Amino acid sequence: MSNAPNKPLPWTTRIPVHIALAGGGLFFLLPLLWMIATSLKPLDQTMRPPTNLKTAFFGDGWQAVIGGRRLEVVREREIVPSESRPVYILRPLDPFPAGEMTHPFGKEVWDRYPVFNKQELARMNTRVTSAMTVLTDARNTFDPAVGLLTLQSGRKVRAAVVRRVRPASNGEKLWLVREWRPEDTDTKEVGAAAGDMTRAWDVLPESRLRKTIRLIPHNYPVALRRVHFARSLWNTLFLCAMVVCGTTISSLIVAYGFAFLQFRGRELLFGVTLATMMIPFPVVMIPIYLLYRDLGWVGSFKPLWVASWFGSAFFIFLLRQFYLGLPRDLLDAARIDGCSDLEILWYVVAPLSKPAIAMIALFTFLGTWKDFLGPLIYLNHESQFTLSLSLQAFASEHGGTPWHLLMAAATVFSLPLIILFFFAMKTFIRGVSMTGLKG
Amino acid sequence: MRASVRKSLTGYSFVLPWLIALGLFIGFPFLGGFYFSFCDFPPLKTPMFIGLDNYAQLLHDPVFHRSLGVTLIYGAAAIPLGVLLALTLALLLNTRIRGQALYRVIFFLPHLVPTVVTALLWLWIFNPDYGLLNLFLGKLMHGVDVWTGLFFDLEAAARGRILPVRWSAMLAAGPVAALLAFGPWLRSELTKRAGLFRLVRFAAALSCTLAVLPVLYVVMVRFMPGDMRKLHSPGWLSDASPFPAAVPFAPSWALWGIVVMSMWGVGQMAVIYLAKLQDVPIQLYEAADIDGATWIQKTRHITLPLISPVILFNVVMAIIGTFQVFTEPYIMTRGGPEDKTRFVALFIYDQAFQYQNVGYAAAVAWVLFLVIVGLTLLAFRLSRRHVYYAGR
Repeated sequence: MSNAPNKPLPWTTRIPVHIALAGGGLFFLLPLLWMIATSLKPLDQTMRPPTNLKTAFFGDGWQAVIGGRRLEVVREREIVPSESRPVYILRPLDPFPAGEMTHPFGKEVWDRYPVFNKQELARMNTRVTSAMTVLTDARNTFDPAVGLLTLQSGRKVRAAVVRRVRPASNGEKLWLVREWRPEDTDTKEVGAAAGDMTRAWDVLPESRLRKTIRLIPHNYPVALRRVHFARSLWNTLFLCAMVVCGTTISSLIVAYGFAFLQFRGRELLFGVTLATMMIPFPVVMIPIYLLYRDLGWVGSFKPLWVASWFGSAFFIFLLRQFYLGLPRDLLDAARIDGCSDLEILWYVVAPLSKPAIAMIALFTFLGTWKDFLGPLIYLNHESQFTLSLSLQAFASEHGGTPWHLLMAAATVFSLPLIILFFFAMKTFIRGVSMTGLKG
Repeated sequence: MRASVRKSLTGYSFVLPWLIALGLFIGFPFLGGFYFSFCDFPPLKTPMFIGLDNYAQLLHDPVFHRSLGVTLIYGAAAIPLGVLLALTLALLLNTRIRGQALYRVIFFLPHLVPTVVTALLWLWIFNPDYGLLNLFLGKLMHGVDVWTGLFFDLEAAARGRILPVRWSAMLAAGPVAALLAFGPWLRSELTKRAGLFRLVRFAAALSCTLAVLPVLYVVMVRFMPGDMRKLHSPGWLSDASPFPAAVPFAPSWALWGIVVMSMWGVGQMAVIYLAKLQDVPIQLYEAADIDGATWIQKTRHITLPLISPVILFNVVMAIIGTFQVFTEPYIMTRGGPEDKTRFVALFIYDQAFQYQNVGYAAAVAWVLFLVIVGLTLLAFRLSRRHVYYAGR
C-alpha cells in the first residue's frame, strides 16, 4: 500500500483494500437498508424470525390460487395430518361462543402474535358464527360419521365439512394459509383481521404456493397518520427555522465583535467562550430548566429556541476563525469609505462568509431536527411534539412492536436530512472536516 | 482616550448578546447548579441549604456508582474502538482508490440519521428473535460450529475434555494447511516475485489467522459452555450477564450492544480524518519513498504524527460526548437490565425529572463535570508526548 496519493496501487493491494472498504461500507449501509426493507414489509413478517438473509430483506410473500382466484396469502403454520387423525376444515352449523374454543386454530397460531393482550383476544373471540370456518386440531375433534364437532368443553355442535386434509401422498409439506389483505398492515385493525375467520383459510401443499416479493407502500400513510406527521413536521420546522435564524444572525454579529473590534477583556472573554464548549448539557440541564420554569416557559417552544438568538459558542468560534482569514484590506477600504461596523458586517463580511454561514445553518438545522432531550424536557403536550418525540411516543405506546410502521415513520423522518445531504454535500463534507480542523 | 472608550463600547455592543447568553444560559446554570447541589429542593418550594448532604448521599449510592462505572466502561470501550475503526477506514480510503467519493458518502450517511431513529433502528436490529443481528450471528456461529466440529469434538469440549481433537481429520488437514500457509511463501522466496504471489501470501496469512480462531473457540467452549451457546443469539438488550461471565467489570451484552451501535456513527469521524490525511504534504511521502520506507513506517512516522492533533480533538470531544449519551439508553433500555446501561446523563434525568430529587441531581451533575474536566486534562497530559503541532 502506498501513502502517496498520486501513485496508483497495484491490483494485488487494491483488491484487499476494496474488500475491507466494502465490508466497512456494508456495516454502515445495511442497517439503513434493513430499515427501509422493514418499512415495506407486511405486519406478519415482522413477527416471525426471518429464515434467511434474502427473506429478511426482500420479504417472503406467498401467492396461491384458492377458489379460482389468485390470492396473496400468509403462511400461518405447517399442518401435519395423519391417517389416524386427519385435519378437517369445517363450517359450524350451530353458532357457539368462541370462548369455548380457546384458540380456534390451535395455540401455536396465536403465539405468533405477541401483540394481542387479553382484551384484544376477548374482543376477537366474541362469537363463532356459521359463516366461519374452523380447523380441527388436538382440542377440537370432529367425527365425520355423525357430523359433530366436539369443542374443548365437551360441548358438541353440528358442522359441515369444507375440506378434509389428508397427508400428501408424496410427503409434501402442508401449510395453513390465510388471505392477506393490505389493511393487515394497520395494527389497530389487525387484531380483527387475524381473528377474522371469514377470510379464505385453506390448507395447501407447498407446491401450490408461489413465492413473491410483497412490498407494502401502504405502510407509509398508516405510519405517518399514527405519528401525527403533519403536525410534528410543522413543529419541527418551526423550531428549526427559529434556531437556524437565531444562531446564524447572533453568531455572525458576536463573531464580528471578537474578530475585528478591540475592547478590554476580549481575549479573556473569548477564552471563556471556548471553555464553555467543554460543559456538557446534562451538567447545566437542571438549573436551566428551573430558570425556564420560573419564567413560565416550560410547555412552550420558547426554551428550545430563545437561547439560540444569543449566540452559540461553537459557531462563534468557527466564524471568528473564518473571519480572520478574510482579506483585511476590504474591511479597511469599507471603513475609509465611511461604513459603520454594522454596515461592514452586512455589506462586506457577511457576503464573503457565505460558505461559513451555509455550514452553520446546515449544522444547526441538523442539530435541531435530531434533538431529543430538549423537546423531551420542555414539551409536555402532544400537540407540540416534534418528530423525535412523536416517534418515540408512538414506539413506547405500542411497546415497540409494529416495527414495519415504526421503520416507515423513521425512514420518512430521516429522509429530509439525507436529501439535504445530497444537495449540499460539499458544504457538509467541508463543514465536517472544518469542525475537526482546529485542535 | 475617548475614541478608545467608544471603540470598546462598539465592541461590547457587538458581543452583548453573547454576554447575556454567557450569564443567563451558561454562567447562571453552571454556578446555580453548584449552589443547588448543596440544597434540598422539594418541588414547588424554595431550596433549603443542607450543606454536603447530597454529596454524602452520592458517596453511598450504589446506583450512582454503577452508573458512573457503566459510563466509564462505555467510554473506555467505545472511544478507542471508534478511533481505531475511523482511522482504519480513513487510511484505506486515502489510498487513491476508485469510488472514494461513494465510500465517503456511505460512511457519512449514519451521521444524518436522527438519534431517535438510530436508537429505534438498532433496537429492532438487536431484537433477539426477529432482529437482523441475531440472524447474522446465528448463521455465522452455525458455520463456525460446523467448521470447528470437523476438527474438534465440541460436545466433549463442553464436557471438559482437555484435548477434544478429532485426530483423523486433523491429520488429514494438516499437510493441506501447511501447504497453504507456507507453500506460496516458499514459492515466492524461491522465485522472488511480487504481484500475484503477494496476494496469495496475504490470503494464506489470513487463512492461518482464521485457522487459529477455532482453537480459541474450542478453548472457550471448554471453559464456558453456557456463555458460548449464548453467543449464537444473545438477547442483546435484555441480557445483563456479560458474555465472559468470569471477567469482572466486563460490559454487559446490553452495553456491548450500545457500543456496537456507537460504532455505526463513526463514519463521520472517518470523513474528518480523511480530510486531514489529504492535507498531508505529498513531499513527505516522496522523501520517505526515496529512503525506502515501507507503508507501515510511513504511516507510523509521517501520517499519524501529522493528524495527531485531530485525533486528540476527536478523543476529547468523544469524552465529553460519552457523558451526554442519553437518547440511546432512554429509548432502548431505560437503564436496564440491572442498571447495566444507566448512563450518567440518564441517571441525572431520572433523578431530576422522575424522582424530583433536584438537589441531588445537581450534585451528580457537578461531580460529572469534575470527572469530565479531569479526564480531559488527563487526555491532554497523556497526549503531550505523542501529539505533533506543526510550527511549535
